[in-house]
Amino acid sequence: MELSQRDRLSELVEELTTSGRPQLNEDKMKEIKKICKVSNDCIDHVYHTIMSQLNQEHAEIRLSAFQIASELFSRSHHFRTLLVDNFQEFLELTVETDLEQPLPPPKEAAKKLKTLAIQTIQSWQATYGTAYKKVALGYHFLKQVKKVDFQDAEARTVAERRREEERQRKMARIYKERVEAASKDMEESQQEIEAILMEMESCMKLLIPGFELPGIQTSSSSRSPPNPQQASGSPSLDEQPCCSRDLKDDWKEGEMKEKQKERRIQEDTDMVGEKKGKEEKKSEGSEDEEESGEENEEPLDEDCFIRDSGLISHSYSLDLNISQGLHVKETEDNEAVISTVIDLHRLIQTKHLPAVQGWVQVFTKAGADEQLLRKALDLKSSLEAALQKHKELHIDYKTRVRRVMKASADGEDEEDDDDDFDEVPEKEGYEPHIPEHLRAEYGLDPLPSTSTAPVTKKPPAKRPAAPPPPPSSSLPSSSSRRLKRLIEEEQDPTCAAATLRLLRQNLPPPPAEPSSSSGPSSSQSSSDQKAVDTPVVPFGLDLYYWGEEQPNAGKIIKAASQHQFWVHAEVNEEVQNEELLAESRSRYISFPGKFTPVSHHCNAPLGNGKLCPRQDRHKCPFHGPIIPRDQEGKPCREEDRLREQQEERRKREEQPDWRDAELMRDIEAATGEDLGSDRVGKKRGGKKKKYPNLSDLKQNANTARSRLEKKVFNKSAMRRVADVMAKADSRKHEKFSNQFNYSLN
Amino acid sequence: MLGYLTARQAGLDDPLRLRRAESTRRVQSLKLNPDRDVDRIHGNGINTIDIEAIEGRYMLSGGADGVVVIYDLENYSGKQQYTCKAVCSIGRSNRHVHKFSVETVQWYPYDTGMFVSSSFDKTMKVWDTETLKPAEVFEFEGNVYNHHLSPIARKHSLIAVGTKNPKIQLCDLKSGSRIHILQGHRAEVLSVRWSPRYEHILASASADSKVKVWDVRRASGSLFTLDQHNGDKSKASSEAVNTAHNGRVNGLCFSGDGLHLLTTGTDDRMRLWNSATGENTLVNYGKVCNESRKRLQFTVSRGCSPEFVFVPCGSSVAVYALHTGELVTMLRGHYNNVDCCEFHPDYQELYSGGKDCNILAWVPVLRAPDVEEEPDSTKKSAAGQPSVNPAFEDAWSSDED
Repeated sequence: MELSQRDRLSELVEELTTSGRPQLNEDKMKEIKKICKVSNDCIDHVYHTIMSQLNQEHAEIRLSAFQIASELFSRSHHFRTLLVDNFQEFLELTVETDLEQPLPPPKEAAKKLKTLAIQTIQSWQATYGTAYKKVALGYHFLKQVKKVDFQDAEARTVAERRREEERQRKMARIYKERVEAASKDMEESQQEIEAILMEMESCMKLLIPGFELPGIQTSSSSRSPPNPQQASGSPSLDEQPCCSRDLKDDWKEGEMKEKQKERRIQEDTDMVGEKKGKEEKKSEGSEDEEESGEENEEPLDEDCFIRDSGLISHSYSLDLNISQGLHVKETEDNEAVISTVIDLHRLIQTKHLPAVQGWVQVFTKAGADEQLLRKALDLKSSLEAALQKHKELHIDYKTRVRRVMKASADGEDEEDDDDDFDEVPEKEGYEPHIPEHLRAEYGLDPLPSTSTAPVTKKPPAKRPAAPPPPPSSSLPSSSSRRLKRLIEEEQDPTCAAATLRLLRQNLPPPPAEPSSSSGPSSSQSSSDQKAVDTPVVPFGLDLYYWGEEQPNAGKIIKAASQHQFWVHAEVNEEVQNEELLAESRSRYISFPGKFTPVSHHCNAPLGNGKLCPRQDRHKCPFHGPIIPRDQEGKPCREEDRLREQQEERRKREEQPDWRDAELMRDIEAATGEDLGSDRVGKKRGGKKKKYPNLSDLKQNANTARSRLEKKVFNKSAMRRVADVMAKADSRKHEKFSNQFNYSLN
Repeated sequence: MLGYLTARQAGLDDPLRLRRAESTRRVQSLKLNPDRDVDRIHGNGINTIDIEAIEGRYMLSGGADGVVVIYDLENYSGKQQYTCKAVCSIGRSNRHVHKFSVETVQWYPYDTGMFVSSSFDKTMKVWDTETLKPAEVFEFEGNVYNHHLSPIARKHSLIAVGTKNPKIQLCDLKSGSRIHILQGHRAEVLSVRWSPRYEHILASASADSKVKVWDVRRASGSLFTLDQHNGDKSKASSEAVNTAHNGRVNGLCFSGDGLHLLTTGTDDRMRLWNSATGENTLVNYGKVCNESRKRLQFTVSRGCSPEFVFVPCGSSVAVYALHTGELVTMLRGHYNNVDCCEFHPDYQELYSGGKDCNILAWVPVLRAPDVEEEPDSTKKSAAGQPSVNPAFEDAWSSDED
């Protein structure tokens, strides 16, 4: 073999293996093959270079080398014999058969190499297994001892696979448990949900009779047909007109002028009737009920009349707001129903819907049987339908919130809410919030949401001073009963109502704004104001004896005798202690001064043209003592300026700017003289990488840990620490060397 | 070859000469042969194998899973391709199977109806080959590392047993009892070996780096202890006196004529000793990798003119010339550590077992048909070979030009 060929081969192999690319360069590979074809010597040489490259501690090099090897393996018998002779080492380097020789980093390349190697060896076994025994042996070794699954594309080892299986089994178990729990849950709460849906349904029915949008026709509604008996509480039918009157009121107030009202409604009806049969029917129905006195015509007749009379002509400009759709406003009449609806809505939204969604998730994830999933989905869709329906109702929440706070005001006017508010603080003074279950105890009616009978109206908050005016539709029996009970409670001194009454009697009326601060707090606030002027000093002996002459201040009895008690009375003499005396009369007051924030800036010029914004009191850590500077950052005083200039000169001498490598190179290029830019540049620039294409292994080592290690395990630092420790030890030894327990360390 | 044959015909040569020459050639050409396979029965590493001396037909193997298998090595099919079948095995389903790794198996030297196996389950069992049931079970206090039956003994039927206990046990097959102990070692006895020349001479190797040679008729102590420095005090440190190796001695083998003794130790050395005087012959075999903590079974060839040693060395088997220490070849084929090898003296074949669960047969390469005499047939065979096995062909594609 010629030397040139040999060199060329080595060069090619090195280039190919250090390219860092996952695929080989085909041209170069072709050249290698071309040279190898000439003689077996070349193959020998290539084999050795490839093996040496395979031994490199870099997975990318190994991967490329392996690819070359597999190319040649399928071509040359000689190469095969060579490689098969050393098949053990080859496997160690590519398939990681030896656990003590793991594949080198980077990890992705190593993984790829292993997968590729396993696939290749399988194909080799298929092609050459019979001819080359060691290939077959190696294959069996991998298969039976190393338990490599050749079918598995991931080429995982048996341990990994087992782990995976274990995990899956565990997950399956967990899923099964979850499914069981969820199905049980569902079993339990299905009844409840259905009941709630039913309730919702009936409430809606109560609010708007025949409210049934075709778009939200759902399984729930179809499954649970409105059943007046089932609707909890079964509100009396005579309430329905009231609710629907709301609807009308809303329309009235919402948009139209009074005089146009009637026609409008007719038009509305007409339009809706043209558009949607259902809608038409509903609105007609409601109108029919609510305005039975005003309009006696049959809806169809009405239509005919409009059409016949030609009222709707092209000259009319109608502005209809159909999107307004339904609008339910809360009044005292439908208060109970609405609050039930709200509660139900909240219950669905916060409790049942998330729960159902969770079940659906669990079932789909675990792949549970169809039925459960369908059931859960049904539940979910019906709940969602109910929510949707609720949304379409456009119930006015805000009015309700006030209504809860309010006593029992007249439903229609909303302006008088403010003076209703006045009563609220009375209750707030001692109990801002009354839990539901305690309401009865406090003389309050339970909230209608929890009440079993929605018929009972929302009870007004406590208002004993002004007995509630009998509301139009509230049941007189209940209000009188409440009043009576209140009075009874006021007699009972243990009851909160009695305390309240007492308070009311004793205290002046609370200020206009609702605040919880009562008498004492206001007095405190006035004293606070005084405190600003007069200094506060801590209480001390001097204050205790203020203006008094103390007879035996600073006197101590000095026991001359050492005996405890067997002593003459005369022996004990009193001694005057000046210090003690002074202490009882004097007081130390320290004057630390006041903190004044620094208002000046350092203002030294920075590199980016700005001024230093630091606000140190005396000295800037970067620019030295703070001196007065002008707007450009130059010192105002002459001596400061001189000093600064001197410093700058010194700095420039240390590192002249013309020695900047780039600048020098430019100058050299311009002048053609050698200024030594290479030297300078080299000193600064790091060593050039040998193979720029390979991924850098050392770069990976640049982690927080490694950086810390570099600092902590720095030689000089270690030595310093060791010195300090040794010194401490020796000091201890000097001091306590005669004590045995220190001798040990 | 022809010269040998004519000389043999003319009666000029010793009859042994041709035989020796041919067997030497065959040993030197040992190779992994694709035509010869051994059934894979063991699911775990193979610790020991033994070929019976009577017919040379059956081979025993003991695995780390406690299984003992008997193979038939003889090829009666008439074809080149042959897989050594497992005749019978004492598998895990057998009631009497060894619980732990089988460390040694050995045929009874005079009859294939009986074999002995010992294991880390602290027992040694004497098996009846026909019924595959133990005829006798010896129990010991510690793991049994090795046992050996004398191949030539006529006057006694003792089994020497090396266990975790430093005392060597002698068990008598006649009475079925442990009749004797030999004291002298300070650590577990890893290998024991009877001399193939004198039936009462026994050698033992121990983890205390000593190798002792015993005469079992003389119970008071060993005959001598092998010393790697031949008694030269200046070279030996005080601890290393009378030691054969600087580590555990885990391999022991007499040469075929019993005149020499080979030992291997975990100091990666192999030493050849004069078995009569205990003198270190100072043959340098170079580094013989040896990391085994258990016994290493290695063997020497028989009937070759320079004898060869086959010693496991990592994942390959090294072949050394016995007396010169020259490395002849490395037999590479195992993918994990080799634990045992056994030489078949009749066919000059070598069987080796390793931790990769393989038993490999190393078969001499047949002499290639003489090129000079029959060029036509050579051509034919050369042309025929690739047609049989296209894998041996080069497959350069044309587009690389």
